[in-house]
Amino acid sequence: MDRRNFMIGAGALATAATARKAQAADDVVIGVVYPLTGNGAAVGLDAKAAYEVAAEIINGSHTPIGVSMGKGGGLDKLGGAKVRLVFADSQNDPQKARAEAERLITQDKAVAIVGSYTSATGATISQVTERYEVPYLAADNSSPSLHQRGLKWFFRTSPHDEMFTKGMFDFLADIAKKTGRPAKTVALFYEDSIFGTDSSNVQRKLAAAAGMQVVADIRYRAASPSLSTEAQKLKAANADVILPSSYTSDAILILRAMSEIGYKPKAILAQAAGFQESAFMQGAGALAETVMSRSSFALDADKLRPAIPVVNALYKAHNNKDMNDNTSREITALLTLADAINRAGSAKPEAIRAALVATDIPGSATIMPWAGVKFDEMGQNTLCNPVIQQVFGGAYKTVWPFDLAAKDVIWTVGT
Amino acid sequence: MDNFITRRRRHELLVAAGLLVFAIVAPMFIKDVTTLNVIILSLLFAGLAQAWNILGGYCGQISLGHALYFGMGSYVSTLLYVHAAVPPSLGMFAAAAVGGLAALLVGWPCFRLSGHYYAIATVVVGEIGYLLFLNWDYVGGATGVYIPIARPSLLNLQFGKDKLPYLHLVLAFCAATWLAAWVIEGSRWFYAWRAVKDDVVAARSLGVNIFSSKMAAAAISGAFTGLGGAIYGLYVGYIDPDSVMAGHFSILIALPAVLGGVGTLWGPILGAALLIPMKELSSSYLGGSGRGVDLMLYGAMIVIVALAQPQGVVSLFRRRAHGPA
Repeated sequence: MDRRNFMIGAGALATAATARKAQAADDVVIGVVYPLTGNGAAVGLDAKAAYEVAAEIINGSHTPIGVSMGKGGGLDKLGGAKVRLVFADSQNDPQKARAEAERLITQDKAVAIVGSYTSATGATISQVTERYEVPYLAADNSSPSLHQRGLKWFFRTSPHDEMFTKGMFDFLADIAKKTGRPAKTVALFYEDSIFGTDSSNVQRKLAAAAGMQVVADIRYRAASPSLSTEAQKLKAANADVILPSSYTSDAILILRAMSEIGYKPKAILAQAAGFQESAFMQGAGALAETVMSRSSFALDADKLRPAIPVVNALYKAHNNKDMNDNTSREITALLTLADAINRAGSAKPEAIRAALVATDIPGSATIMPWAGVKFDEMGQNTLCNPVIQQVFGGAYKTVWPFDLAAKDVIWTVGT
Repeated sequence: MDNFITRRRRHELLVAAGLLVFAIVAPMFIKDVTTLNVIILSLLFAGLAQAWNILGGYCGQISLGHALYFGMGSYVSTLLYVHAAVPPSLGMFAAAAVGGLAALLVGWPCFRLSGHYYAIATVVVGEIGYLLFLNWDYVGGATGVYIPIARPSLLNLQFGKDKLPYLHLVLAFCAATWLAAWVIEGSRWFYAWRAVKDDVVAARSLGVNIFSSKMAAAAISGAFTGLGGAIYGLYVGYIDPDSVMAGHFSILIALPAVLGGVGTLWGPILGAALLIPMKELSSSYLGGSGRGVDLMLYGAMIVIVALAQPQGVVSLFRRRAHGPA
């Protein structure tokens, strides 16, 4: 279907229409469920752009990119069939997400579903895919409860919250070894949602295991109008490290509230989320300097992963932003899924599932700082280690693992 | 006069029976799951709006906290199933009991308030309930509760991919709420509640017990709402406070009744039949673009109905039946 066909006339149009129909039969349809309106729409629309870029990497003709499925031209083992994405709006509502997944499978004949940002929508989508026996690939749902149900058709390329948190405490152990100045006390600060609750539960457990004292345990109402009481509590506790689990507006608010009462924390190590959004950097400005956050993505790890700048340029051309923690995971999820469909050599869900189970992509064939992609028996990728980043001059730079670091970490605890 | 009313009521019952038979049979020929899903949600919200209408319409006590009874209903049946292995086919009746009880507990202090204060109080109580469930670990807190996928059976009210049994389940629910409203319209309560709605002082002077009238309406309304919540939880397969107890559910429950015609027998059903398909289909087929066209259409429809038919859509039919008012 090229542009010239349209200019020849009605007869050619009819031919083109038939050609398109024949081609459409070969397309492999993948359903993508995200919040495209309502709360979460900003993240969902970025995700849509990320999937479009990933599909372009798989389908388009371009110079080979050093990632799995990066040579373009469609799925070669399916005769060059193209991956076709059908987007659906979950409105961040679990009921809606469930209905949309069902519609994509039955009406659009999607052979797999990718999604879906929030864990609650991931929960209902994966119930549907389990019933319809179609793979669900969770690109960015991070609640550990999702894979622990032991579903047969559930796969997750990215780390879940426990792995993320473990990475944060591994970093704290490493930095103690390196500098001889360990963090002895931590303060937990988290919103009252599935995300904040899960995150703080694991942090409490790991802090105890590492022999760190939890000197403040502060749960707050998400999207609060004011966090000044919480800031006072954090100041009174004055922990070595503050561990916040917050979304964007609360992240900015707590930094401002602490600054207003003249409190400069020794170290902040965030559970990504709001702290990784571009709006955070704009809103917090200079207050964000030296804040640390875990991330599953490192934009500056281009020495280790030369494909990052190439893919980022594609994404930036499409959405006028750099890739971030979420969008990089979304691109990786679709590339992983396409790789499995290609290896399966078939668009049959059962064959795709078998290929997903056998997935073994080395880290060097991804844009992630991970060791690779390999699923355990519950469908969880076991090779996706997170990184720690720190803000320098308004941008996150990777500081841990030390062999991946773009900058030396600023660590003032114990000085 | 009596004769006229009896005839009209018999007529309504016949129409309802005809619709019921149609609603049982017609979906058997529909294979498309999206359409079936829309019908299921429409019937469910028709039933919920009818339940709301019993308190908000007939008795005139505007509640903006029905999400509480709805959410408690879905939690009760789900938790009984997950923690105590009570099958949902029994658990849903416990959900109804808890929903009714909760409405009585809310009503006990709040019905002493008059005018708009009751509506405001229900908003607050609903929000308190939401926060309690969000922070209560035994009920899953913010993590929510999964309903384990079980073998399809009538006992578990799980039917796998098959949508038709769900449809008949919510149809039964919707029919039950309609029948309850129909029975109420023929009873003394109807007149007592109407009096409470129109003028409390006049009603009291005629010997109507205001407080117990309101409590009775609340109990019936709450019980049906709890039952609907249980069915909804089962249908979706996962519940958390945000998806069954958030404040916007209170609006979703009240809206079909308000739009269709408050305090009428057919208003809630008509309202739901218009509102839910509009909402679901527009977001399914226009929502993928991410431009929010679906929400604009949905909002525009509500505004148009509110402006053109402030008495609700049901008044269109009434005018035709009786000539210009």
